[in-house]
Amino acid sequence: MHNYPEVVAKIADDYLERVKSKLRLVPVRERDEFLKELQSHLYEAYQQMPGEDDVERILAVLRNLGEPAEVVSDRLPGAMMRSGTKRSLPLYVVSGILIALFGIPLGFGGVGVLVGLLFALAGMVLAYYATAGSILLAGAMSMLLGLTRMFLPHLWDNMVTLGYIQINGPPADLLDHLSASEQGLIMILFASVFVASGLGMLRLGRYLLRGLHFLFSLVLDWMRRLAQTARGKLRRDTREWPHVGEVSFANNGQ
Amino acid sequence: MGVLYHERHYGYSLIRVLSDTGSISLKEGTVYPILARLDRDGLVRAEWVESDQGPPRKYYALTSSGRQLFDELNQEFDLLVSLVQQKWKVPEESEHARKKLVVRKG
Repeated sequence: MHNYPEVVAKIADDYLERVKSKLRLVPVRERDEFLKELQSHLYEAYQQMPGEDDVERILAVLRNLGEPAEVVSDRLPGAMMRSGTKRSLPLYVVSGILIALFGIPLGFGGVGVLVGLLFALAGMVLAYYATAGSILLAGAMSMLLGLTRMFLPHLWDNMVTLGYIQINGPPADLLDHLSASEQGLIMILFASVFVASGLGMLRLGRYLLRGLHFLFSLVLDWMRRLAQTARGKLRRDTREWPHVGEVSFANNGQ
Repeated sequence: MGVLYHERHYGYSLIRVLSDTGSISLKEGTVYPILARLDRDGLVRAEWVESDQGPPRKYYALTSSGRQLFDELNQEFDLLVSLVQQKWKVPEESEHARKKLVVRKG
């Protein structure tokens, strides 16, 4: 159905591929339908375009249609638009600070250093959460022991006899002067302080996680852009050296 | 929307009508995002129709809500035009009133 000369088909295919690459985040069905509509437009416009030179005609059609970015402008999801605009400024700020402080070069080397730093930060956050968890666990255990001392003194005595509970040194001297319920109360008070500290650390940890998530997003965004640039460069290089047997839409549908 | 009011069109034919009548000057590619937005908002209805001259064409036609919106926009536009025309008459009247005021003061 598409009676394009081969060279015209290649130019049209290249344009459609560029549009397709810009629509990679759009659902497949919607994307394919849009590409089909554009294909229809290219065919109609090419047939109507006056002129003798086939290449000139298809180039004029594409010129009138506009750049792929313009054509797909309304079909990009909000997330993609955000990643292209809002994220770029903080990324440049972080890059600028890193270059100013450490002289990190831009490019894959810089990304490597950044990723290393981020994993170190992630390790610190992990250690932070492990500490918070330990403090919470210690608090809960102390609370349990305090309640046991207050309400089940026989169980407490048995556990001391069996050696499960061992309190030595100044704390033991202090506790010996107090009654069982007073000992339990002191333990519960200490346990409350531990639990409150653990919960506080967990709450503060949310901010740390948010910060780390933000930094990871920046670096991943940067890596994506670098990969895109590299892919574009490779594609340009490949186009300069065409291979025999390249996939073509020439005479598509016949 | 005005072009689609009386007749359905596919993308390229719509662009041809717009450019031939000199209604509006725009990049052809910008028409498709607009059509997609109208379709998303339920103002146009799209339909694929086989063509014996080439690939299938996607025809667009105004829906009833699209017609309603176009009528409302048309009325607002007419109102705007009449307001602009009135504005050109206002300076003459105000000048006349100002002269009267000056005369009274004197």
